[in-house]
Amino acid sequence: MKSKTALIFNVLLVIVFLFAFTLPAFAGKTYKLGMSLAITGPTSDAGNPYSKGAEDWFKFVNETDYLGDGDKIDCPIRDDQYKNDTTKRFFEEFLDDEILIFLSYATGANLALKRDFEEVKIPVIPASYHEGLIVDANYTFMPVATYSENAVGLAEYVVGKHQGEDTPKVAFFIHPSAFGRGPLEDTQKAIAEGLKIDIVEVVEHGTDLDNTAMLQRLVSKGVQYVICHTVQTPVATMLTDAQRLGVSAGSFGEKGKLTFLGAHYTGGSDLIALAGTATEGYIWADSYNLTSENNEKAKKQLELAERYGRDDKAANSHNYGAGILAAQIATEAIKETKAAGLKITRGNIYKTMQTLNFESFAAAGPVTYSPTERIGVDVMNIYVAQDGVFKKLQSFESQYIQKVRAGR
Amino acid sequence: MSYFFQIVVSGIVVGSIYALAALGLVLVYKSSRVANFAHGQIIAAGAFITFFLTVRLGVPIFFSFLASMLITFFLAMSVERIFLRRLIGEPIISVIMVTIGLASIFDGLIYLTPFGSENFSFPDFLPTESIVVGGVSISWTQLVGVIITFVLIGAFSWFFKKSTVGISMRAVSDDQFGAMSVGISVPRVFGLAWATAGLSAAAAGCIIGNITGLNFETLHAFGIVVFPVVILGGLDSILGAVVAGIIMGLIQQFASGYLDGNFGLNGTGDVMPYIILLVILLFKPHGLFGIHEIERV
Repeated sequence: MKSKTALIFNVLLVIVFLFAFTLPAFAGKTYKLGMSLAITGPTSDAGNPYSKGAEDWFKFVNETDYLGDGDKIDCPIRDDQYKNDTTKRFFEEFLDDEILIFLSYATGANLALKRDFEEVKIPVIPASYHEGLIVDANYTFMPVATYSENAVGLAEYVVGKHQGEDTPKVAFFIHPSAFGRGPLEDTQKAIAEGLKIDIVEVVEHGTDLDNTAMLQRLVSKGVQYVICHTVQTPVATMLTDAQRLGVSAGSFGEKGKLTFLGAHYTGGSDLIALAGTATEGYIWADSYNLTSENNEKAKKQLELAERYGRDDKAANSHNYGAGILAAQIATEAIKETKAAGLKITRGNIYKTMQTLNFESFAAAGPVTYSPTERIGVDVMNIYVAQDGVFKKLQSFESQYIQKVRAGR
Repeated sequence: MSYFFQIVVSGIVVGSIYALAALGLVLVYKSSRVANFAHGQIIAAGAFITFFLTVRLGVPIFFSFLASMLITFFLAMSVERIFLRRLIGEPIISVIMVTIGLASIFDGLIYLTPFGSENFSFPDFLPTESIVVGGVSISWTQLVGVIITFVLIGAFSWFFKKSTVGISMRAVSDDQFGAMSVGISVPRVFGLAWATAGLSAAAAGCIIGNITGLNFETLHAFGIVVFPVVILGGLDSILGAVVAGIIMGLIQQFASGYLDGNFGLNGTGDVMPYIILLVILLFKPHGLFGIHEIERV
């Protein structure tokens, strides 16, 4: 009798063990992605909240069974400290892990790896919106409007709002790099296509403690608008100097004064944190929905941040939203591929991404890709800094950028 | 004409802040002949300590400023005591490599805090309106920055010329063995040099942070940005740092004001100081106030 009981017990034990080992199979599949960005080092003020946004979205996806069937996403996030060689190393390690999508970051690293992306045929979602990344490239899927689109769009906005019959005189304040120069070149092409602005001067900034000479020179040349494409710190110093010198326009396009406008990485809550009241009146083009809009989309972003214990600074950063959007694009690509009954491979995900179309709470408009269109969110919001936050003035789509692209 | 004077004022403001930021490098070099590549990180640390005390702990900014100078004084002294003292007598290049390593360690430590990757600014504690005299404007931030710079530089000059400790430091700088033979503690002098450099770095960090906002990358970059000032001034001369700082500031502003945007030129404000530096070094290889040591064999 004893031996019979022992036998039953042993059989049960074996069954339990077998069941335990087969559990992961029932738990669903795990899809591997890889993300490399600057969590520390230069530009980490953007990269850090960006990584948090992506991390939180993937956690959310896994915890809520967003993909269905218990499928999960495994996306290791590596800190490349804004070093191109480190990004390349991480990318190669990710390839060894057979990742499906690469979530990348800086302009330089993406340009350096552009050929590699094409060669290994891997879909890439960058945090850099440099137009050059999608020129002669098939596998880079830009989440939102490019920097060029921002700059050309702002120039068009200036033309539309400028009072008077004269051609608006504009100066460009740019980062001394390919990142900074790209949008300027595209704006010059837009001018050649008929955009009526006069670029009086291009300033490539350094580590300036005082912009007095530059600002006064611009005023003396009759410049009314300064379009910035760089990061927040130099813009903050310039705005503070302009406030001190009394050359900041009190209203849009005020004569004899300077109206400052800027692309994606020049603005946001970080600019206000750096420049305080000097930011008032700053016009900013961005394709993300800001939490200061206090709309349904903003609430969802704040809920996600709260769910994962993020502080107010991260929760309200548009870079946090940008991280969420990048992660959402990857997630939706997997989900759609699954829904189409296709095997989850790089090739099939690439096919799906070419027709991906969804609404994101982090973005200003819908994400829409097509076989010939590699920009997810085309619409930009024009924001103005008012009472310590950026408020939406209007939605905007650049017309001239289409002409510039058609001319390539 | 007011444009010209505005540029002069801006040049002096920028130059004096460069001088203050360069002071710490000069102080360390003066006593130990070492170029401290972690200086920028101490500048940033000083600014963030002041911000933390003021904003997070609610300490009035004036006291936060003094406290941060005191904290970086002891921080730099500890760094010297723990990492550098055991390198006394070792080749200078070894010590320099250690300072590069220290810079990485400080980077890592600051990246562990929100200060490493977030932007902040000091609360407004000075009037936001500018002072305008004859069409030339200067902000209170800049004015106070310049005053603090000159007060500190004056104090350091007095310290090196009149105080016993200061004279000891100069003696060590001149001849370590000679100084030891008359009973001066060289390790103690090294510690003090690092400590005073830390103190001046905190002051510079607060002033720069008040102008540019508090961004770690921007702040620690000033540890390198001011190297040309130190070289032009003559590496071990406080007066040299002041004069060179102001020369650099003026060249930068004049180039930006009169060359940039004209004659197809751009970015001369960044390049001209280096060109002038090279020209001056051609004629004065030891810098404007550097000591030309002659060794007789």
